[in-house]
Amino acid sequence: MKIDVALFASLSGCHAVSGDARTRVYDLPDGSRIADVVESLGLPDQPRIVFVNGRHAEETRELHEGERLAIFPPIAGG
Amino acid sequence: MPEAELRSRLGASRVAIIGCGGLGSNVAAMLVRCGVKNLTLVDSDRVEEGNLNRQLFFRDQIGMLKTEALAVTLRRIGPELELDMAPIRVTADNLVELVRGADVVVEAVDQSDVKAMIVDVVTRDLPDVPLVVASGLAGYDEANGVRTQRLAENVWVVGDMTSDVREGHALLASRVMVAAAHEAHAAVRLLLGCDPD
Repeated sequence: MKIDVALFASLSGCHAVSGDARTRVYDLPDGSRIADVVESLGLPDQPRIVFVNGRHAEETRELHEGERLAIFPPIAGG
Repeated sequence: MPEAELRSRLGASRVAIIGCGGLGSNVAAMLVRCGVKNLTLVDSDRVEEGNLNRQLFFRDQIGMLKTEALAVTLRRIGPELELDMAPIRVTADNLVELVRGADVVVEAVDQSDVKAMIVDVVTRDLPDVPLVVASGLAGYDEANGVRTQRLAENVWVVGDMTSDVREGHALLASRVMVAAAHEAHAAVRLLLGCDPD
């Protein structure tokens, strides 16, 4: 199944294929969960915000064909 | 929109501001000057001397709860304000109750893990309440690097998304206030039914 994966800010360098694009399409095995994407891309262990199709999602959530996964790392300072 | 209608709509709105430091104190003052009359202010800290370089507090307020000190200043601008003050630490367990009734929630805390928690709880439990968050405002990079972008259905992020607080990358009043103005303006646009970006 194909999933759009958007990695924001410092995470954009974690895409499997380097480049400037924030969003890349990944072909994942059926049944893949968000946590599987996080692990396969080697995202650093830091606070992150995860959305699927622009809505809240737990990392245990299973992904489905055509969905849009977005992962954002908030930066300290306020 | 005629100014009377604009002020009326803003005056009838409530904004919850989580964190009353460099971002939150300045966001609150700008919203009040725009005409927002109902604010929820959440912060458990007290004013310290080190806050005075960017936060809307004064030397004679050192030691006061930030919520109380900020309320004094805001009421000097708008004596008729309706302020709900919560001088407690925000957690995943109390957040929904703290911001209940808000038309817009503004995240204005320091720590990245608390920012993540706020987004997590609001998007999960209050998916129809707009949330404005800040990420990346430290240092002295150009002010134009700070912008407002939509992150999700009900989330907008303000900042350059990369400038962390670290040695040589301090929080400077000028850039913090740029981000605060972006947050306040995003809230105003949301209250007026406009997309912030």
